[in-house]
Amino acid sequence: MSFFDLKGTLKPLTALKQFGKKPHTIEYPKESLEAADRYRGLHYNELEDCIGCGNCSTICQNKAIDMIHIAGIEGSDGDSGLRPRVDNGRCCWCALCVEVCPTGSLSLTKDYLYVSEDPNSFLFTPGLDNPEGKDNLSFTTTEEESLNVFNRVPMPELEGMERVKSFAEVVIGYNEEMAREEAARCISCGLCTEICPEHMHIPEYINAIANGNDNDAIRIIYDNNPLPEMCGKVCTRRCEDVCAIAVRGEAVAIRWLKGYATSTAKTADITYEIVNPEINKPNGYKVGIVGAGPSGLTAAYYLALRGYDVTIYESNKKAGGMTMYGIPKYRFPLDSLDKQIDYIEKIGVKINYNTKVGKDISFEQIYNESDAVFMGVGFPQPWTLGIEGEEAKGSMQAVNFLHEVNDGEQIDVGKKVAVIGGGNVAIDAARVSARLGADVTILYRRRVQDMPADWEEIEGAEQEGIHIVPQTIPVKIHADENNKVTGIEYLMSEMVADDKGGRPRPVAIEGSNKVLQVDSIMGAIGQQADYSFLDGKFAEKIKIERGRIVVNENQQTSDPKIYAGGDAVNRTADAISAIADGFKACKAIDKTLVGKTD
Amino acid sequence: MKDIKAKLTEKIKASFDTVSEKDYNGNRLDFHVDVKIIPQILTFLKVNLGYIHLSHISCVDWLEEGEFEIIYILWSPVEKLKVFVRTRINREKPVLPNIDMIWRQANTYEREMREMFGIEIEGLEGAEEFLLEDWQEMPPMRRDFQTEEYAEKTFWSREGREDAIDVREEIIKRSREEIPDFAKKYSR
Repeated sequence: MSFFDLKGTLKPLTALKQFGKKPHTIEYPKESLEAADRYRGLHYNELEDCIGCGNCSTICQNKAIDMIHIAGIEGSDGDSGLRPRVDNGRCCWCALCVEVCPTGSLSLTKDYLYVSEDPNSFLFTPGLDNPEGKDNLSFTTTEEESLNVFNRVPMPELEGMERVKSFAEVVIGYNEEMAREEAARCISCGLCTEICPEHMHIPEYINAIANGNDNDAIRIIYDNNPLPEMCGKVCTRRCEDVCAIAVRGEAVAIRWLKGYATSTAKTADITYEIVNPEINKPNGYKVGIVGAGPSGLTAAYYLALRGYDVTIYESNKKAGGMTMYGIPKYRFPLDSLDKQIDYIEKIGVKINYNTKVGKDISFEQIYNESDAVFMGVGFPQPWTLGIEGEEAKGSMQAVNFLHEVNDGEQIDVGKKVAVIGGGNVAIDAARVSARLGADVTILYRRRVQDMPADWEEIEGAEQEGIHIVPQTIPVKIHADENNKVTGIEYLMSEMVADDKGGRPRPVAIEGSNKVLQVDSIMGAIGQQADYSFLDGKFAEKIKIERGRIVVNENQQTSDPKIYAGGDAVNRTADAISAIADGFKACKAIDKTLVGKTD
Repeated sequence: MKDIKAKLTEKIKASFDTVSEKDYNGNRLDFHVDVKIIPQILTFLKVNLGYIHLSHISCVDWLEEGEFEIIYILWSPVEKLKVFVRTRINREKPVLPNIDMIWRQANTYEREMREMFGIEIEGLEGAEEFLLEDWQEMPPMRRDFQTEEYAEKTFWSREGREDAIDVREEIIKRSREEIPDFAKKYSR
């Protein structure tokens, strides 16, 4: 070894190659390290997206989450108005709350350092107390990772072109296994019950189905709905629009689950056995009901249970109102309706069929004989199109057409049919005509997305080969020398935005006239009531505004003894609102009459 | 990767008869085996086939089926393949053979499994209190352990949380729904 070690002198200089690189040691001023991507730190809640379903609070095994009111957040349809608050003293960051959150609003952030001398500050409302958490999210769940099941159990249905061959029911219905699986998707938040006009106990009966107890489900359903099988098939189901699962997935099939539960009771007798209704002994009061539609039947059923002597006067030969004569049988079969009417008659409701009030019996007589009267008269009269040639042979009203078909009459609609309108009646008339072998075209004045009919119905019609021509305004019906319809002349229209903020209006384009050759034309542009049965005295007494009977919150008209409900009263024009009206009237009548004697 | 998997399966099946395999995409291969041959198959994989690394031991409680499933996850740095050795044991009397003489670090997993699931491990070194202090209850990772109930009775409720509202009750109040008593047991 030499005195001068060249290697030993130069070697340390190699460290210079690190010059300018980022040191591995802690820097000053100190930087905190970033947590891992999926680190489970403090919660963050997107308050706008949260619907307050409370699933996070229910799942928490440490009871760390409370649902509370927050200033500035009001409840609305599909939002309880409550938001979660986390007790971070109890939270163990298992993140189950994030995994069950149906909306995906709740997540965890990377923030985990939280130092405070005030123990109360550990109780905080995610999103409100840490708005900056939004930029620091770590543990979130996508639709695939979530513990919620976002896909509905598919409903077996008849094939589109198979359906038009007969009036067989299109929706086949869930079997037991499918129903249990579908019911298990429900998170029981109950947001749906508020929007239901009748406030049915939805989470309770779905939970009963999920637990394999169909009889309990039926009992819960009959608590405030005497026509559940009808609702299980044709309800407008606004409940499904606000389903918490529907925020990111497909809503729980509430309507079909109700249909499943009621279908497990095959006959009226079995239904009676399961529901085992408690019928009070007669209290001596008499109630007369005009019209055996959903509202009348509901009022009658619950009044009869409470011990009233109830008589319904129905002008047709069958009960059910529009659900009997307006809804085609491929959506709501006759035996299913019969079963429910049988059951209602079984508990003591008397129905006088083929009895038109105002003709076979006067309204005054019913009024004098009864302690209270309920009118569920509906909207049986169609509005006419008001265009030239409407009186030609082959031009008819869709409601009348459906009525006659449902009554079992044979109607020849010819080879080509045009239906005018975009509501459920128009679609029903079109689909029925297709089943009678016609080539059907629907003419609607607005766009397809503006059609008030259910999207399922529109889709069903398209699958069955029905043509929809939107933005058309009919102007004239052409007829031959025998006054038989040969075609319909219409104008194309363009949508013009409404200055007042309403929905866009269709405006005809001059000179765009077209003629569609058809054999039949059906108008389906709406219906109105027929109050001709109210003779002089009552016509003056009962207040009617814009075609609807005016009632207070108890369904009471301006004559305190007369109550009313259904399409002739409410604006929603669906069966479940009619049922709600009937139930409300029943409670009000009971309170007025029985409350009086106490 | 396919060749490696096929060869490995062949070698395992030549030495053990009660083995079934399940292939997954990527570098993963599962073997379902009887609990009796756990030490043998793990030794065989480690010594003869080069699966020298024990990545993890996992336990799943199949409450409805009355079984625990134990999963040993091994790794070969040469073949770059993860092998899952899975076995099921009775939940009522769960007994597992000890494997800490094959991998020393398995001892930590085994002590945790013993404490969290209540699985007895034959001849385990240090079969005593591990992570839980003075634990008197059912092993807490078992699915029938009532976590919520336990949390309720162990940790006191703090003040300032009395304003909590039940969502269902809030909706009922708002819509004036009347729920019959017999239906309430189905509420959340």
